[in-house]
Amino acid sequence: MILKLIKTETKKLKRTPIWLAFGFMPIIPALLGTLNYLGNIEILESEWYSLWTQHTLFTDYFFLPIMVGIYCSYIMRLEENCHNWNKLLSMPISKHKIFIAKLACVGLMILLSEIWIGLLFILSGKLIGMNAPLPLRELIIWCLFGTLGGIVMASLQLTISLFIRSFALPVAIALCGGLSGLVFLAKDMGHIWPYSLMAYGMNSNSPQELNETGYVPFVITCILYIAVFTLLGSNILNRKDM
Amino acid sequence: MRKLLKCEYLKTNRRHIILTALFVTLIACVWAFYDSNKAEDAAEFMLQNGWHVILYQFPLINSIFFPLLSVIIASRLCDLEHKGSCLKLICTLTPRGRLYDAKLLYGMFITQSCVILFWAATIVYGMLCGFRESFPITLYLLYLLFTLVPTAAVYCFQHALSMNFKNPAVPFFTGILGEFVGLFAMFLPQYPLLRRVVIWAYYGTLQFMGLYGYTKETRYTYTYLEHMGYDWAAFGILIALTIGIYLIGKTIFCRKEL
Repeated sequence: MILKLIKTETKKLKRTPIWLAFGFMPIIPALLGTLNYLGNIEILESEWYSLWTQHTLFTDYFFLPIMVGIYCSYIMRLEENCHNWNKLLSMPISKHKIFIAKLACVGLMILLSEIWIGLLFILSGKLIGMNAPLPLRELIIWCLFGTLGGIVMASLQLTISLFIRSFALPVAIALCGGLSGLVFLAKDMGHIWPYSLMAYGMNSNSPQELNETGYVPFVITCILYIAVFTLLGSNILNRKDM
Repeated sequence: MRKLLKCEYLKTNRRHIILTALFVTLIACVWAFYDSNKAEDAAEFMLQNGWHVILYQFPLINSIFFPLLSVIIASRLCDLEHKGSCLKLICTLTPRGRLYDAKLLYGMFITQSCVILFWAATIVYGMLCGFRESFPITLYLLYLLFTLVPTAAVYCFQHALSMNFKNPAVPFFTGILGEFVGLFAMFLPQYPLLRRVVIWAYYGTLQFMGLYGYTKETRYTYTYLEHMGYDWAAFGILIALTIGIYLIGKTIFCRKEL
């Protein structure tokens, strides 16, 4: 049933401008980050790692949170239009499955975005003639854990979008969340705040070092947050007049 | 026009649009005034040159928050009509061009008020910090002008998109992409064309204070701030771009099928 619901959700997104944004959005930080890297090549000495910081500098704190906010707002807006909630909630499907399907759909978009960011990172490095070997293992970890952190943010944003029936306001909250994430990361509490988990997973601040607390607590924290927000979101769907 | 503006106010009443704008401005203030650099030499440099440091640092903050504020306000004002399919009805009661202008003026009033509020808050913050140099009023008035005009340009663009696209994701994504390019353009002074073509980059293009002499080793010992001169040509281009965007947006809205 869940798979069918996810398929339905992806069908709803067919030919929407979301995909254009997904395609174009990571190209800009890749292009400008590479130019910035080339402009400051004498200071940025860690080759692939320095290039990664340039690619993810603003992306993790400002633009990916906003993008996740827009993905979630859009997915909820589809149901708010033309009283689609009434039709959807009257079907014999449990509410938490509907929420999980929506979350899986956003998660898929985040994963594709991360893969695209990774591919652009490799392409940029090759084009500017990096000599050092590509840190492929780290890159896969950054992208996968970035996705996991992004899903935490998405589950929270979907819950917020259920509360606030506006497209713009949850996106503004996502931006504030992204900024608060930066503060939490600066205070060494990036591993506990839902809005900083994506940047924490992607290791955009210090890509040479592995996270001090290790990845197992990170994964556990993410799963716990996802479970809590999914339960909360499903409960809202159950109780709130949609 | 007065009646239309009053209608806009009534439509947005209790929708917390002004509260949203104030919230984004508040976040900008917290972000801008939060002093993360606790080093003694940095604090001393700030006390000596605070007013000029603000003129150097704040265009970056403006380029993050005010385009986003414009996206949100334009989207919320126009979404009211799209969501309720009200445009067909309203456009039978008043000319489309006047409706376009009224919404633009109302949204512009909100965003520009927030810019002025942030500017005033910056001055109050500076006074509370007790900077040793005297307050350069002329520079601050020019800084205000160079923040108001790019914000007006970005708002005009967002308004044109929000009025012409029913789907709010389109203006949102375009705005965020533009903001991203504008933000990066501030770090790429070696590409002057990028800084003049993209309206979001004008916060940096019109910046007139530069910081020189800072290195990791010597830190603030030889650091100084210098006036880089005003780029009036860029200012003129920006005003021309704003008028162009306004005219194109209005023409498309007046001709499209609702």
